[in-house]
Amino acid sequence: MSLSVKNLSKSYGEKLVLDNLSFEISEPGVYALLGTNGAGKTTSLRIILGMLAKNEGDVLWKGRPLDPVRTNVGYLAEERGLYPKYSLLDQLLYFATLRNVPRHAAMDRIKHWSDRLMVDEYIFPPKTKKRAASKANRADQLSKGNQQKVQLMAALISDPELIILDEPLSGLDPVNTDLFKAIIKDEIQKEKYLILSSHQMPTIEEFCSDITILNRGRTVLQGDLNQIKKGYGRVNLFVKSDVDIASYISTFGLPIANKTPSEYHLKVRDEKQAMEFLTKLIGDNIPIIKFELREPSLHEIFIEKVGDNNEEK
Amino acid sequence: MKKSNLAGWKDVFIFTLTQTLKSKAFLVTYAILLVLILISMPLVTILTNRGTEDPNAPSPIEKVYVENKTTLPDMDFSLLTNQEAFQNISFVALEEDYKAVEDRIDSEEQTSVLLTISEEDSAYSLAFVKAGSGPVKDRSLEQLGSATMEQFEAFRIQALGISDEQVTLLQAPVTTAVSLTDTEGNAIEKEDTSISFNEYWLMYGILFVVLMVNTMGSTQIATSIVTEKSTRVVEYLLISVKPLALMVGKILATLIAVLVQMVSMVVMVFISNRISAGLSEGNGTSLLSTYLPKNIFENMNLVNILFCFLLIILGFIFYATLAGLAGATVSKLEELNEGLTLFTFTNIIGAYIAIGALGTLIGSGTNTFVTFTLLFPLSSPFILPGAILIGKATIPIVAAAIVLQIIFILLLFKFVAAIYETLILHTGNTIKLKELMRISKLIQKGGKVNE
Repeated sequence: MSLSVKNLSKSYGEKLVLDNLSFEISEPGVYALLGTNGAGKTTSLRIILGMLAKNEGDVLWKGRPLDPVRTNVGYLAEERGLYPKYSLLDQLLYFATLRNVPRHAAMDRIKHWSDRLMVDEYIFPPKTKKRAASKANRADQLSKGNQQKVQLMAALISDPELIILDEPLSGLDPVNTDLFKAIIKDEIQKEKYLILSSHQMPTIEEFCSDITILNRGRTVLQGDLNQIKKGYGRVNLFVKSDVDIASYISTFGLPIANKTPSEYHLKVRDEKQAMEFLTKLIGDNIPIIKFELREPSLHEIFIEKVGDNNEEK
Repeated sequence: MKKSNLAGWKDVFIFTLTQTLKSKAFLVTYAILLVLILISMPLVTILTNRGTEDPNAPSPIEKVYVENKTTLPDMDFSLLTNQEAFQNISFVALEEDYKAVEDRIDSEEQTSVLLTISEEDSAYSLAFVKAGSGPVKDRSLEQLGSATMEQFEAFRIQALGISDEQVTLLQAPVTTAVSLTDTEGNAIEKEDTSISFNEYWLMYGILFVVLMVNTMGSTQIATSIVTEKSTRVVEYLLISVKPLALMVGKILATLIAVLVQMVSMVVMVFISNRISAGLSEGNGTSLLSTYLPKNIFENMNLVNILFCFLLIILGFIFYATLAGLAGATVSKLEELNEGLTLFTFTNIIGAYIAIGALGTLIGSGTNTFVTFTLLFPLSSPFILPGAILIGKATIPIVAAAIVLQIIFILLLFKFVAAIYETLILHTGNTIKLKELMRISKLIQKGGKVNE
């Protein structure tokens, strides 16, 4: 076991913003923290990193209280931050120094990451006498996406063992999203420990094996994603046909979760009911283009869990 | 305050100092100040030299018609011709019609002037008339007027039959002294501890420089902290260093930058003074020596200068810590002024107390209030450096002030260390003093702290 979060609680006055959060990351990989805005994800990450004082609980790294100054941690904050007027290279070297990375190693890593993230022209701008060029290496001259790339470089500059990424893909275009995803995959390959907070459910499904869903500071669902899905069973049926099958759906009494011009998303009680429905369609010679029975998506589980809890409130 | 709370301050210090020294705003302001200081004294010297004629240069006045309307016997002003400037002037008693001579001076005899000595009530009057145009300028007439008046005074006393010794006695100031005596009736000597006008201005100048340094440096620190908060860089920094280390690194870096500025400005003042001395006509007197008597610096030795710097540095650390705290209470740059209210108020209070003590020093010398001001940590950085340089602060007073200042700083650091961590991630409205005290109390009680 490498990271253990035990019974973390945090309140602001009377308001409880994090209630008894516990989870463990025993093997390298990605752990996901999910939740709506204000659910307590960023607060949890800040407490884990020791930035915020906790009211209760412990954060252990390899059995000892996690000290981010001594542990090799990389952090990409949700609200990106760079010094607007300082040179990007100076900033990255400063961040590397704070993480105890020797200067020559820092320079090598900056060169590597700037090349990988395609920001080398901003970090190492070509020398020119023009005034505009001298400003090109400042953060306030970069687009939001490029600033995010430099932030990611800062988070990875110490080649951290534990990487905490708070909404790493928000605001990125599809090309850069793929670039970030590729880097995350590489870090997983290197057997790093990652905690990922995101609103993008497909991304979580792509990377994460274990999740915690937070709602208003409380854990509403936690565990291995595959096990969670199995627990729900294969109750989502997607059917596509050339002819109208509305009457069959009505006869079987299947609730329609969603409908597009060519496809129905139906809810079934169990696999047996789905098979009976399929048998009937085949028996009546209904041409079937698609018949897919699958577990609920993370998005659906999330909506169900968070929606239920919000309604309770 | 744990040692680990300060780990990493050196990295913050080096980065902040490097970026400050590289900053265009800093370099441009610094260069402008140095140039202004460098040219100021030579410029003043050149401008004042331009209007000053050589006092020994021959006066353009060639003849003075003297009209004596007093009861005093006729006076021989030709004694003035012994002076180099007036050696070509001839003094003649007015025997013609006043109006005719006046017209002639105005039209033809422009190098001549008319002197009328009259007696009105209980006063004598010396009135000069010169041509409306011509070589005789007002300055030449003023020079002659001063010399003539001195000569007239001598004549007047001579005419009354008073000796030089009697004149000296008459002119001696009358002083009164109130003495305390002991039980045996022996007078107890009381030293005059008041300061001179020049000493007052020297101390006032140092006070003003310290106030300027504190204000500029502290505002820079507060701005830097708010910038890190508003740009969210602080979130990244906080995984590597504790908030207190961030503040200590910033304070020391700004202090060094300000000290570099200060020292180089002082050096530039002396260079400028040297240049002005070279430019001044006559005896090569420098501008500083004109306004500051030489004995004012007789206490300026290495130890005293080090004490001065130490006090200024301690004062800067104290006020910069307050400003750092103020910076942490706000989240946006536009709210910084509001957040700095407490710092500005404290800084001004300290300076005003020191100014009050300066007034007391020049008026009645050292008393309890002055001693309090020299020791009080809010005011001592403003007044004590000047007092050391003019020899008005004893070693025990300086030592006590330094100890008190260090105690004050440690107490402030303890308070700041407790609440700074809570404040640094605060976003939202500016936190008021009352709220700061509440947070501090909660922490001291071991309570749970909220943002």
